Amino acid sequence: MSDARPRVLVIGCGNLLRSDDGVGPVMIRRLLDRGLPPGVEVADGGTAGMDVAFRMRGAAHVILVDACASGGEPGSIYELPAHEAETPPLEAAGNLHSFRWDHAITFARWLLKDEFPQTVTAFLIEAATTAPGMELSRPVTEAMDRLVDLLLDRWTRGGTGAADGVAVGDPSAGRGPEVTADPGESRRRGGEPGVASASRSPVAAGDAS
Amino acid sequence: MGVTMELKAESLGRVEGELDVKCRIDDGIVTEAWTEGTMFRGFEIILKGKDPQAGLIVTPRICGICGGSHLTKASYALDVAWRTEVPPNAHLIRAIAQASETLQSIPRWFYALFGIDLVNKKYARSPLYDEAVRRWAPFVGTCYEPGVTLSNKPVEIYAIFGGQWPHSSFMVPGGVMCAPTLSDVTRSRAILQYWTSEWLEKYWLGCPIDRYLEIRSWNDMLEWMDENDSQRNSDLAFFIRYCRDTGLDAYGQGCGTYLSCGTYMDKDHYQRPDIATRAESVICKSGVYDGESFHPYEQENVREDHTFSFYRGEGMLHPFDGVTDPIDPRDGARQGKYTFSKAPRYMLDGKATPMEVGPYARQVIAGSPGGLPHQDNDPFTYDMHRTIGPSVMSRVIGRMHEAPKYVRRMQQWLDALDLHDRFYVKPTEHAEGRGWGATEASRGALQDWIRIEDGRIANYQVVTPTAWTIGPRDGSGTMGPMEQAICGAPIEDPEDPVELGHVVRSFDSCLVCTVHAYDAKTDRELARFRVGGGC
Repeated sequence: MSDARPRVLVIGCGNLLRSDDGVGPVMIRRLLDRGLPPGVEVADGGTAGMDVAFRMRGAAHVILVDACASGGEPGSIYELPAHEAETPPLEAAGNLHSFRWDHAITFARWLLKDEFPQTVTAFLIEAATTAPGMELSRPVTEAMDRLVDLLLDRWTRGGTGAADGVAVGDPSAGRGPEVTADPGESRRRGGEPGVASASRSPVAAGDAS
Repeated sequence: MGVTMELKAESLGRVEGELDVKCRIDDGIVTEAWTEGTMFRGFEIILKGKDPQAGLIVTPRICGICGGSHLTKASYALDVAWRTEVPPNAHLIRAIAQASETLQSIPRWFYALFGIDLVNKKYARSPLYDEAVRRWAPFVGTCYEPGVTLSNKPVEIYAIFGGQWPHSSFMVPGGVMCAPTLSDVTRSRAILQYWTSEWLEKYWLGCPIDRYLEIRSWNDMLEWMDENDSQRNSDLAFFIRYCRDTGLDAYGQGCGTYLSCGTYMDKDHYQRPDIATRAESVICKSGVYDGESFHPYEQENVREDHTFSFYRGEGMLHPFDGVTDPIDPRDGARQGKYTFSKAPRYMLDGKATPMEVGPYARQVIAGSPGGLPHQDNDPFTYDMHRTIGPSVMSRVIGRMHEAPKYVRRMQQWLDALDLHDRFYVKPTEHAEGRGWGATEASRGALQDWIRIEDGRIANYQVVTPTAWTIGPRDGSGTMGPMEQAICGAPIEDPEDPVELGHVVRSFDSCLVCTVHAYDAKTDRELARFRVGGGC
């Protein structure tokens, strides 16, 4: 309800009760502890997907932080511009409890119209485990600290936090390792739900008499 | 010659791995159903051995859309365990916050979740179909848009008092951590009024809430629908006509037994929270309806049965003694178990009985006789129940009926705040104690049972409305409420069993507030976005 538009809003998403999935909300607290530069605000998006869209209203630049389960090396950090990350919300709109920030981006374009932020960037940290628990794994904790350093560094140099327009000084940025994981397999890794591939209720019907 | 088939509708929330429903269909009608909650949530295990106040942090994270309700009952559980004093202002703020959360859920659920199926192609032959599409088509419907875009308004009020919504921890044993000013109260009133006039009255009711609240019976409702063009064209009146045309008033009945644990403490009645005086202190009444008569609700009659759930052994326990000992689902399946949800039951005359919870249930209970003057005594839903019976349609009407009622209550609670009085009384943190904290979340009875020993949590059990609803069969083989509600549903097209969606979503159960890690892309797809070289 603040009248001042924050220039940059960081929203940490994920479930604090599922180990590394909580890295977004934990990082919000870490940023507060480190001290925010002027013009930067943070918000704990938790698991309230649709509200992430409402929360974006009024911010010029939005940074989303979440865990990911892509099958990559735990602790890897990915930076995606919004149009690369978003998922049309109708695919998951059937249940608000599963509405995630990637649906929220598409939803926010519809919701906020002219007030949609100039940029939305997602930072994803590859999770080692999303088992029930409140501790972050070591690689994810380290990745979170690296990401905090990176963002603070970019902000100090006048950037929005996103890579665009600001040199990061990391030659390997944007170049990933060769990975041979089977996408379908990695999506189901550890028995955790693959959410985004959702389609309308598949039905297996067999008949007898 | 009858035709029997088995159908498994997975992902009824349209996501992978949350609620699967398996059913047996005879001649196009569901005759048996199994609800399978496919994920283990483990928060009871996380809480064991932790500081007693951990429940205030952990349980609101169980759900991204009813965190305020979790916080409310976790606070009251500690209030009871520590025998705190809770000042009137704190009861009021807790009630305002939680009601605002329920209000935001009402249109969001109706349009963005339930209503999507109303424009299913199955109904294209209805003469009302074009109008339904015009109103409710996702994103473009004339009522969908204001209903959803304004849905965050009520929780702006929550954020005024709680700092943020939903993951706030501003309710604590002994009260609330806030010091509202007159301008906070004024702003809250304005936001509530704006939402009421711009969505609730303008689109849903087509009339002032005062007129709507005169409805005391199903007959009154029918008269109200035809009173004038504005009411006739309201979303509510059109919804009722549409349901009667498409048959949504004819199935989805459920178990026919209802439970409300009550909520919203009257500010002058619960200064010393305990188990014994809670029922007389609530505004939204507690109670149990067995299909014929009403009974008081007593927490000691709650059991959780895990005979068909992926936990070790079988049988029933009271939540104070509850055990969460998960087993591998594959081992469970060999023992005939089929879900991670336990089966909550209520002991009624010595018999473990499944109970429907949720807005419809609590509005049936609101019609119970003998309420106290400060309580919500409202005969409408009980009369509708007796007149036309339960169905998908009735369940939705019961839920939507709460919106104007809670607006009226919230206005009263905001007026009743005494900004010069206390909001918090520091409690004594006893090293031993037992607490029960309860509330009615948007989707039904939500309760915590906590045992504190040596200053630590010895046991913590959360029984959610979703568990009541989607819980499986119990030791006697009796199906859970949603399983029963699905039975009788006519399935027109097994390739697109929209009827199952209507029934399941009419309960608005919550399952997938579990892992929200982004997995829409694989590592290979993400590789070019990688930051830094190593890890």
